[in-house]
Amino acid sequence: MSAAVQTLDISPVGRVEGDLDIRVDIENGVVVNAWAQAEMFRGFEVILRDKDPQAGLVVTPRACGICGASHLTCAAWALDTAFKSEVPRNAILARNLGQITESLQSLPRHHYGLFMIDYTHKNYSKSRYYEEAVRRWSPFTGTNYEHGVTISGRPVEIYALLGGQWPHSSYMVPGGVMCAPTLTDVTRAWAILEHFRRNWIEPMWLGCSLERYEEIRSYDDFLAWLDEKPEHANSDLGMFWRMSLDIGLDKYGKGHGKFVTWGYLPHEDKYSKPTIESRNRSLRMKSGVYVGETDTHALMEERFIREDIDRAWYDEKSGQHPFDRVTKPIQQNDMDHDGRYSWSTAVRHEDNGRLEAGALARQLVNGGSHGEDWQHTDPLVLDMYRKLGGASVALRHFARMHEGVKLYREAEHCLREFRLNDPWYVKPTERDGQGWGATEAIRGALCHWIEVENGKIKNYQIIAPTTWNVGPRSDSGELGPIEEALIGTPIADTSDPVEVGHVARSYDSCLVCTVHAHDAKTGEELARFRTA
Amino acid sequence: MPNMLWLQGGACSGNTMSFLNAEEPSACDLVTDFGINVLWHPSLGLELGENLQKMLNGLVSGEIPLDIFVFEGSVVNAPNGTGQWNRFAGRAMKDWVSDLCKVAGYVVAVGDCATWGGIPATAPNPSDSQGLQFLKRSHGGYLGTGYTSKAGLPVINVPGCPAHPDWITQIVVAVATGRGGELTLDEFQRPKTFFTSFTQTGCTRNMHFAYKVSATEFGQRKGCLFYDLGCRGPMTHSPCNRILWNRQSSKTRAGMPCMGCTEPEFPFFDLAPGTVFKTQTVMGVPKDMPTGVDKSGYIKLTAAAKAASPRWAEEDIFVV
Repeated sequence: MSAAVQTLDISPVGRVEGDLDIRVDIENGVVVNAWAQAEMFRGFEVILRDKDPQAGLVVTPRACGICGASHLTCAAWALDTAFKSEVPRNAILARNLGQITESLQSLPRHHYGLFMIDYTHKNYSKSRYYEEAVRRWSPFTGTNYEHGVTISGRPVEIYALLGGQWPHSSYMVPGGVMCAPTLTDVTRAWAILEHFRRNWIEPMWLGCSLERYEEIRSYDDFLAWLDEKPEHANSDLGMFWRMSLDIGLDKYGKGHGKFVTWGYLPHEDKYSKPTIESRNRSLRMKSGVYVGETDTHALMEERFIREDIDRAWYDEKSGQHPFDRVTKPIQQNDMDHDGRYSWSTAVRHEDNGRLEAGALARQLVNGGSHGEDWQHTDPLVLDMYRKLGGASVALRHFARMHEGVKLYREAEHCLREFRLNDPWYVKPTERDGQGWGATEAIRGALCHWIEVENGKIKNYQIIAPTTWNVGPRSDSGELGPIEEALIGTPIADTSDPVEVGHVARSYDSCLVCTVHAHDAKTGEELARFRTA
Repeated sequence: MPNMLWLQGGACSGNTMSFLNAEEPSACDLVTDFGINVLWHPSLGLELGENLQKMLNGLVSGEIPLDIFVFEGSVVNAPNGTGQWNRFAGRAMKDWVSDLCKVAGYVVAVGDCATWGGIPATAPNPSDSQGLQFLKRSHGGYLGTGYTSKAGLPVINVPGCPAHPDWITQIVVAVATGRGGELTLDEFQRPKTFFTSFTQTGCTRNMHFAYKVSATEFGQRKGCLFYDLGCRGPMTHSPCNRILWNRQSSKTRAGMPCMGCTEPEFPFFDLAPGTVFKTQTVMGVPKDMPTGVDKSGYIKLTAAAKAASPRWAEEDIFVV
């Protein structure tokens, strides 16, 4: 970068997990333009080429240590669709349970470890909730920080009972799972779940029982719940919501208002002969695209995906479907905000363009009436979205935390449904073919495409939630979701733009985020564009 | 109050996530009970913006003492040795690593990527990744064979994909309580206290190994994973079955073959077709023997084991 730009390089911000630079232009205290720059390339798709068909089970969980179970889920289902395996009922449940426990782990870990720390920022010292926020949420020493971060390790103990360890097990394999749990594994898992509920979800997070919380079906219900008892208002959820509104986090971070989820948790009785085509009608949590402007829902399919690369450091044809990609990195990754500036591609829906992935997307989609009538629906977050006038930092994080109770119930369902003496694995025949596996990592839509030819991987492609959200501009110039959500963000102190951190962290992108803020008026444009 | 800085190169955060599962001590206990001053961590750091820039520069200049430098992830050298494929705070991460290693009291490489390159360094190693002082089995890595930190030790390698939280916290506590001098390292600079015994030490399938009763497929309720499913427990150094994972289990206990992730070659055979979850054999004899056993010894051992194998060993043992 040129010296002129470095003097304007204001704020490397951690706590987004990975390597991401966000560059914003600020005019009159408001962000007017933004660029999200993914700054790290390891080349997993390149590594997987010509390897054993099952190599993705080992390699892809290591793409992200935070969402490893989700990668493993995708890798296993992708192979199942390619091999045409049969997946026993127990194995579907065991995969789902692994996925769920990883997500339950992530709720308090992200909430306390990454998100709420910002509420103790001096920017908010005038808030009437500030003193209490510092007491609860200060890093390492805050009462609830310490408890929340420590207890976040418990749900993945259940993952360890199934897969031996978390993170980075490979216990899901084509044809099922490697484990064959015993009754003591199941009873121990119940005890761990109960511990998590009795020591965090109910007393600290909700201030009420799961059952009481589940009665909330609309924004009005939620507001009534807040007022009902001091225990509700003073719970970490109650405090989070009241302080968020007090410090204006419901006012910015809107984004495109278009959302995507692959859906997740295949039904144990409906997906034992997995195919790409039958996935949508086999899921407990349905897939979909929600467009806020027209208030419409539709199902999502992998064939709608296109990847634009004109603004990313790849040398290949732009606008292709992942099965047609070759992943050819450009050697010289010069930063050019008029040209290429990211290792992330710009993923888009062929009709709907750029879409936001994540927990908010899942909750908005499961508020819709599309899909099968037996699939899960929940109107709360969609109602809040409509009543509050769209997305915001506060609603995005609320949606993430709201899912916790549902995930807890889904974990109970898996434990109830295991038939311990039935099979856990049916050995498949390895064969050539194309496969696709998808799920929802806690932070959003994740999927893998695989093509096996002559007994080895010909092509492996991953689109992660972070690819959706941190991607650069598309070829047509449509901003990436985080870029779009940053526009309009008010910045109180340009030397310490915590507000930009809020927006980035509300997406929970798996990249450590560095923010470079620029004055839109005095930051000389030519200098800005010559930053490499 | 020792200062600790934790940075990530070509990383997945898996070691950070593993570290956060620690309980005795927990990540918070390290701060509150052992007085570790966490200067910054990519997931936990509170310092923002100019403060972080100032701090990094203060560390490099020696103004702020850097007692423990923890590095997670590979050192990315691409393209053409510039390291520009992994930038941090406006510079190639590898340049920060060079500067910080010059001033650090102890340097701890956490996880396979930082120790020997790990998954990113798998052929064709597109990011030109190295570990801090090794690349796979070859000594040197990014810092070179002669590197020692201010405390006189080479890089302390805590391998594993990921490393177990206790392996990380116990090393940090040893250093923080003034016992860093008692650390003894093996030829791959791993603390001997953890990496002398084998993954197999303490495995619940040891009797099946001894009687050569094989788990021939996944999802079975008996059998050793070494003979057919590619388990590397008998030739991998780790305490995975002495210090359990997530306080509950281990991969081999749960039915997953050990992949040898605490050894420099992981992932073995570069994941070539036919090598994943399958024992590699020549004329029916495993290519890789349990450590220290030769081929004729193995044949005698397994013939005797088969002959002596009791009937119960062929029946399910991990029953509902």
